[in-house]
Amino acid sequence: MDSLIAANISQRPLRTAISIIGVALGVVLVTLFVGLARGMMRDAARRQSSVDAEIRFLPAGNVSLAGNPLMLSSRYADAILQGVQPTTEDPDIEPKPPIAGVSAASPVGEYVQGSVAGIGFEMVDGIDYSSFTNTTHLRLVEGHGLGDGITPGTEYEAIVDRYYADLGRDTDGKRVRIGSRITVLGHQFRVAAIYEPPVLARVKIPLRTMQQLLGGAENCTFVMVKCERPELADQVIAELQRYYPGNHVISTTEIPALYSQGLAPLEIFLDVVIGLSIVISVLVILLAMYTTIIERTREIGILKSLGASKRFIVMTIEKEAALISGMGVLFGFVAAMLGKLWLEANTRLLVDLEAKWLLIAALIGVLGGIIGAIYPAMRAANLDPVEAISYD
Amino acid sequence: MTVLETIDLKMVYHVGKVDVGALRGATLQVESGEYVAIMGPSGCGKSTLLHIVGGMLKPTSGRVIIEGEDLTAMTDAERTDLRRRKIGFVFQRFNLFPTLTAEGNLKLAERIYAGKNNQDPARRRGVLRLLGLEDKMHHKPLELSGGEQQRVAIARAVINRPAILLADEPTGNLDTENSEIVLSMMRQLNKEFGQTIIMITHNGEAAARADRVIEMRDGHVVRSTVAADVARERSR
Repeated sequence: MDSLIAANISQRPLRTAISIIGVALGVVLVTLFVGLARGMMRDAARRQSSVDAEIRFLPAGNVSLAGNPLMLSSRYADAILQGVQPTTEDPDIEPKPPIAGVSAASPVGEYVQGSVAGIGFEMVDGIDYSSFTNTTHLRLVEGHGLGDGITPGTEYEAIVDRYYADLGRDTDGKRVRIGSRITVLGHQFRVAAIYEPPVLARVKIPLRTMQQLLGGAENCTFVMVKCERPELADQVIAELQRYYPGNHVISTTEIPALYSQGLAPLEIFLDVVIGLSIVISVLVILLAMYTTIIERTREIGILKSLGASKRFIVMTIEKEAALISGMGVLFGFVAAMLGKLWLEANTRLLVDLEAKWLLIAALIGVLGGIIGAIYPAMRAANLDPVEAISYD
Repeated sequence: MTVLETIDLKMVYHVGKVDVGALRGATLQVESGEYVAIMGPSGCGKSTLLHIVGGMLKPTSGRVIIEGEDLTAMTDAERTDLRRRKIGFVFQRFNLFPTLTAEGNLKLAERIYAGKNNQDPARRRGVLRLLGLEDKMHHKPLELSGGEQQRVAIARAVINRPAILLADEPTGNLDTENSEIVLSMMRQLNKEFGQTIIMITHNGEAAARADRVIEMRDGHVVRSTVAADVARERSR
């Protein structure tokens, strides 16, 4: 029987190739889309959580990538560090003490823009450079620091991380170096420095400039709060919640989980992709095997004349479908791997080909094929032997 | 010992609103080791009889008993199993798997009969030697002559020691020389292995190779004659 299956597959190369490509398409859809989503999510979460500050202070409301990115007054950074006292401008404000245990606080604006490569998206940070360096391990490896965006000549300066500099291209299509021009928020910025390690977004511009370009007044997206000692984080969180209720105060260790929650719509999209992959695999194999059964009606009649049971015939067709699906899965894996290499070489997208999702994609491909072959197999098994053997 | 018995076998095909009686009470007996030729004009019910005896068709009425097992009382699956165990088919159009080599065709039949691990290489070699196919095993059907293809088909039919070999016009697609070879080999199979053979043929010379000739007409068995007598009659 195995030689019959192998012979059938090799004797119909076009049908086999089309079937393999069909199954592979489903596998690529699952592995690449999921891999892309997971890769980007994981990378973003890793960069979000790899800051030195233990706490993030955010505005009330949903913590997500959507909506206006500058919703929190950047004055909270000073308030957290120095406390709040009534002023002549605002004599009625309730006084608040500095939060004990805090060593630094830095307002950060975060904006998501379409990738300059045209595929995917990328984050841009608006930072107050001096306070930002107090809350992260950011260090410059080339160039000078980022200006405040107020001093003339510093408004359209940017700093980028080493990964961006190595893989990115400036507006002239050349490799990014100090002095290169890059497009951020629809404007051209001059690269003033390259930094390491990757922290938050790969591109940073002055917070002030981001506020002006986005119309966010003196707002930011969140404030990073660094404690004098990491073990003080819980105490500081409690104090922040006490003095500034109604805002979100979270530990940076929670960021990856929050990202996952924030990307719930993406999960729905992935479910749709998986569903589509199953449908594609089932339909491709169903059509391929159905056509094969019609072509091989006479051969099925011969099998019946030899005394082959219905089970034998069903199993023969199912094994053939499973083998074709298996080849489709392998082909899909190779295509997904090539896709990953291409994307990562030509864009700033990251693709995670996790073992779990490769296994799921393989199951979808093979099971889809087996399910798709059920009807043709049953039809073959129920053919009238005399009619089948007389079929021309 | 009677290996096959059909009793008052009737088969009616429903063609639209018309009933066509292909068999109208065919009764015959075949003894173990016997070589029987069935002759008769087109449409007399020969092929229908062969398909019923081979378990590929269920008769409208009557009984078919093969080595004591009543085929007509069986379900479709049981008839398939009996065909697997006790019947070998040879067709006019050879009906080999074109994608498999001669050996592949034989192995497939063995696999259907005995499963993957219970094949009998000695039996395969013996059959191949008898049919003169030892050097053709790795050829695909299209690389073989018609006579060779039919010999492979015969080898496939007898590889699992069926109780009955059913041959439907086995020389119908062959030239005289190859017909002669195939008929000689069927005779040899009958003599050396004691293979029971029931062969449908229009060819009087082919029928003369059999022990007995059954003549059919209008769905009935009308005559059963010792083949030598038939040959003598024809030569007059």
